Amino acid sequence: MSTQADPAQPAEAAGPVGGRADQAVVTAPHAATDGQVALTATGLTLGFGTRTILSDVCVDVRRGAVTALIGPTGSGKTTLLRTFNRMNDKVGGYHRKGDVLLDGRSIWHPGVEVMELRRRIGMLFQRPNPFPMSIMDNVAAGARAHRLVSKAGMKDVAERYLTAVGLWGAVKDRLKDSPFRLSGGQQQLLCLARALAVKPEVLLLDEPTSSLDPGATQAIEELVRTLAPDITVIIVTHNLAQALRVADRTIFLNQGRMVENGETRQLFEHPAEEETAQYVAGRFG
Amino acid sequence: MSFSTQVAGAAGETGSSPSPRRLAARARAALRRAEVFRWLGGASALIPVLALGFILVVLLVEAFPAIRINGLHFFYKSVWNEGASYNAQIVRTGGVEHLSGAYYGALPEIAGTLLTSLIALIIAVPVSIGAALVIVERLPRRVASVIGVFLELLAGIPSVIVGLWGALTFGPFIAHHITPVIARNMPDVPVLSYFRGAPGNGEGLLTSGLVLSIMIIPIVASTTRDLVRQVPILPREGAIALGMSDAQCARRVTLPWVGAGIVGAVVLGLGRALGETMAVAMTCGVQLTAVPGNIYTTMTTIAATIFQYLDTAFLDGTGFAVRTVAELALVLMVITLAVNIAARWLVRKVSGTALPVGRGV
Ligand SMILES: Nc1ncnc2c1ncn2[C@@H]1O[C@H](COP(=O)(O)OP(=O)(O)OP(=O)(O)O)[C@@H](O)[C@H]1O
Ligand SMILES: [Mg+2]
Repeated sequence: MSTQADPAQPAEAAGPVGGRADQAVVTAPHAATDGQVALTATGLTLGFGTRTILSDVCVDVRRGAVTALIGPTGSGKTTLLRTFNRMNDKVGGYHRKGDVLLDGRSIWHPGVEVMELRRRIGMLFQRPNPFPMSIMDNVAAGARAHRLVSKAGMKDVAERYLTAVGLWGAVKDRLKDSPFRLSGGQQQLLCLARALAVKPEVLLLDEPTSSLDPGATQAIEELVRTLAPDITVIIVTHNLAQALRVADRTIFLNQGRMVENGETRQLFEHPAEEETAQYVAGRFG
Repeated sequence: MSFSTQVAGAAGETGSSPSPRRLAARARAALRRAEVFRWLGGASALIPVLALGFILVVLLVEAFPAIRINGLHFFYKSVWNEGASYNAQIVRTGGVEHLSGAYYGALPEIAGTLLTSLIALIIAVPVSIGAALVIVERLPRRVASVIGVFLELLAGIPSVIVGLWGALTFGPFIAHHITPVIARNMPDVPVLSYFRGAPGNGEGLLTSGLVLSIMIIPIVASTTRDLVRQVPILPREGAIALGMSDAQCARRVTLPWVGAGIVGAVVLGLGRALGETMAVAMTCGVQLTAVPGNIYTTMTTIAATIFQYLDTAFLDGTGFAVRTVAELALVLMVITLAVNIAARWLVRKVSGTALPVGRGV
């Protein structure tokens, strides 16, 4: 358990939760100035209770790219992903050092409104999780909550985003129906439409295809490709072939440490680290 | 049906090795046993149906003469007169004996029943749902379980004790300290003007409604709490991840998820409120002949009247007063059944829209 801060980034990484954001902006390596970077973690150390799950993670996520997050089970991929839209904040025993910057600004900055942050950084879960309301209401639920659409405009929103995920043809005659009568893959596409309807800048996908069949998986993968470059996508996957298919860049996480972050082909074919080489060769994890 | 054939079929299949005759006998025995269970099951399933039918029929028979004589004005007149009780003159109308001048109109009782229950619901439903959400989502587990114990204790308090507290403490308290202020300051517009006027002495519609709400909150809240606890985390996190507030998540995801069950919980509470006798009888102020003119005035309900008037009714030698009490009971029964049927319809509407198959209540 290496909870020691990286000597390269000393003071701001040790700042208390929520504070020191302005300082972080100043000292963040290049995020604030470099428009290429959407999301940055600096010296992110994080745990629950006495356990440390992430140790001193520093990553840059390139804007408009699809970034795969790979690593053995339990390496902290989900934890890192959920940290990006502050879904961990209320978990019992949560503690954190270091910072995450969105467009150069700390996501824990007091001026950041967490609900607006989550609108900007959307999330799709491992299993589809439709809301108990009609298909149309599902798509528009987030947009309604953020007042992006009037009641009258809901149908248009539903059509636009269901079309975007390729579900419109299948559901256009049953918009008032329960989403739970859709297949698992259709439900996941519906959740994706719902996430897109709030116009996110970053989309976090946590193994979005792990409960789906190959056909539905392919549909989601193709969609993910079309989301970039308008939306920055981070996709957690256990399927290395999937990472190769969809991701421009790949981050390899192992035991809560960021091991390598690079162009996907580069990382798979000429990994800089021995650990990465072993993982992509299927020797552990 | 299918049960017995299955048993027989299974016995027949295994019957290839030992003596076929013994097996046939065993199969017949199994069939008989299955038959017995089928009849037993059928009979016990019928018990509630029979009980309900029996009560309805008995009430109907008992009340029928009163229904004929009291006629429709029983439902819209505000009178309660068992007729001349001295030198009793017995009159016969259409073959039914009653005292001369007997005249009953139960509008105050019916209105009182509906109004007290309405007040109880208006207060109990939001409080219970809010309490359930807070207990499940906000409080540390240990505090939540302590509060749960208190809710169950509260639900178990005998209604006569709640009634006594309402009559001695709670009613006078609000009549002295709270209702005068409200009565004085309420604007004279429709609906709100019902809150104006003399604040009374603490016995009446408002006190009874509030006491009822206190009695049904534990029932509704603890049922709702158990329901909210069952809502899976995944759709709730989905709402939070979408940037919804906790309140939006509760209103649009958590509560609809168990909406049908919550309707059921509310109906349970409503049933209790409609039929509650003792606590209302002790706090209503007993006004048999006038629909409450404002929310503070004395009134009565069907249940309270049945309880309080029965002794007097027995004094009517013609039995007509008792038959009228039976008619009151029948009306209460019909109201309660109607509420249940309406709730069932509502449940079907609520769960029809969206609950996942096999997850709904
Ligand atoms: N709320 C929590 N409290 C305590 N420990 C947790 C909590 N959430 C996750 N962990 C632990 O953090 C570690 C990393 O979990 P995480 O879910 O991030 O892994 P992962 O890389 O997503 O794994 P997988 O590939 O299996 O999904 C695990 O050891 C897990 O037990
Ligand atoms: Mg995970």
